[in-house]
Amino acid sequence: MLWRTVRSMDVMMHSSSFLLPKMHQSANKPVKNYALVVLNQHLPRFMPRLWAQANLRICADGGANRIFDEMFQMTNDEDKKSTRNRYIPEIIEGDMDSIRPEVKLFYSSQGSKISDKSHNQETTDLHKCISRLHRYTPDHEKPNLCVLVTGALGGRFDHEAANINVLYLFSEMRIILLSDDCLIRLLPKTHRHELYIESSVEGPHCGLFPVGAPSTSTTTTGLKWNLSESKMRFGSMISTSNIVQSEKVTVQSDADLLWTISLRNLA
Amino acid sequence: MPLPTMTHSSAFLLPAAAPPSNDAAATTYALIVLNQRLPRFAPLVWARARLRVCADGGANRVFDGMPELLPGEDPAEVRTRYKPDVIKGDMDSIRPEVKEYYSSLGTNIVDESHDQDTTDLHKCVSFITSNLFVPDKSNLCIIVLGALGGRFDHEMGNINVLYRFSNTKIILLSDDCSIFLLPKTHSHEIHIEKSVEGPHCGLIPIGGPSTSTTTTGLRWNLDNTSMSYGGLISTSNIVDGDKVTVTSDSDLIWTISLRH
Repeated sequence: MLWRTVRSMDVMMHSSSFLLPKMHQSANKPVKNYALVVLNQHLPRFMPRLWAQANLRICADGGANRIFDEMFQMTNDEDKKSTRNRYIPEIIEGDMDSIRPEVKLFYSSQGSKISDKSHNQETTDLHKCISRLHRYTPDHEKPNLCVLVTGALGGRFDHEAANINVLYLFSEMRIILLSDDCLIRLLPKTHRHELYIESSVEGPHCGLFPVGAPSTSTTTTGLKWNLSESKMRFGSMISTSNIVQSEKVTVQSDADLLWTISLRNLA
Repeated sequence: MPLPTMTHSSAFLLPAAAPPSNDAAATTYALIVLNQRLPRFAPLVWARARLRVCADGGANRVFDGMPELLPGEDPAEVRTRYKPDVIKGDMDSIRPEVKEYYSSLGTNIVDESHDQDTTDLHKCVSFITSNLFVPDKSNLCIIVLGALGGRFDHEMGNINVLYRFSNTKIILLSDDCSIFLLPKTHSHEIHIEKSVEGPHCGLIPIGGPSTSTTTTGLRWNLDNTSMSYGGLISTSNIVDGDKVTVTSDSDLIWTISLRH
């Protein structure tokens, strides 16, 4: 379990150990259950590593095209066919307006469950995937579940904004948005946060952003420019181009904050 | 007391041959290029601008990227033609040969490596607002390339510049979309150039919730609607006409997709 109580506020611990090759992960850390959600943008270079970590892989609509087309160049496979047969998502979910017919046919013939939600135009594809995970994960397993998402950042800005909003709408779940350059997580104001930095694959550049509402008091440790009961808001000071200087960063705030850290050495 | 109106137009994205609307004729454009791959319409917006500023490694992108975007032309000739007026920033990304090349052509190199408190974009916007004389400040529009995507903290820092310079029109452009701030101090009229932008759009309350926003011209209009992170935000909306109006009690980011 990754929860313990310090004074009156629970501590939430975060680790990016999923970015390490499986053999390098500490045997002492609690085993997390990773789910992977693939959205419709270019796959990050380290996709095979994420795929190997996950117990469940969901492609959101056109995310399936990306796996079909792009996994091969990240592997040492002989040919595209071998790669395609190795990387079969368990589920393909969404409104199905981007997935190519031949891609849908291939994966359904290989056993992927096709969950057609085209009747539901109210929510984004990421929202549908996270809803599914929320609905089907038993409560006692929820604290151990960590959802890794690729393709949520960049591209159309309204899509990116909606994807970030999913972190806020499901703030009790651990959801990490990943790109080639960085990862982002929500740090809910309800908890004190301890971030364990894997310096071989992340950092040193980092930041904290009060995207939903300003913070009147945020305190950090472990950064080059720490905050000390500092105010943050858009239009004034936000923490960008900060630097991690310790293996452990702590954050406590009166506002929900987005944490970001740069990624490296993952090609 | 009704709010003053601010109008917005993307006429600068129209091909150069198109006759400029009255808006485009009156507006003075400045261009800032940050350190990311140039979007495909970079030569078009370069031609519109009265002043072109590269932020540090943005100069590498112009040097490498303009000849790539104009493959039918002689690269050396392209580089001479697309010469920035100013290169500004902390100079830790610009390649020495690129700096040398533009400096020999007369580009003003302004080294800000002593100032680590503000982002490259902030420095460039400050420079432009201090140095570019425009009779009516509301007619200045700063176009920025390379502010979106890449490292998320850079993107957030760039969006924060829109909030910090809320009295200046600044538009962030990528291959996929355009974004700019709609300050709560004004009622907004956004003129839509359908040939180059839309239909997908959104209104995003970054920085703080809105208790009341009202729009016209969208497929799903807002009517004194609340918006917030953790609640409703307007994304995957559609522009329905030539003009969108927005009035809000909070600063909002407007975004619209660009056509390929």
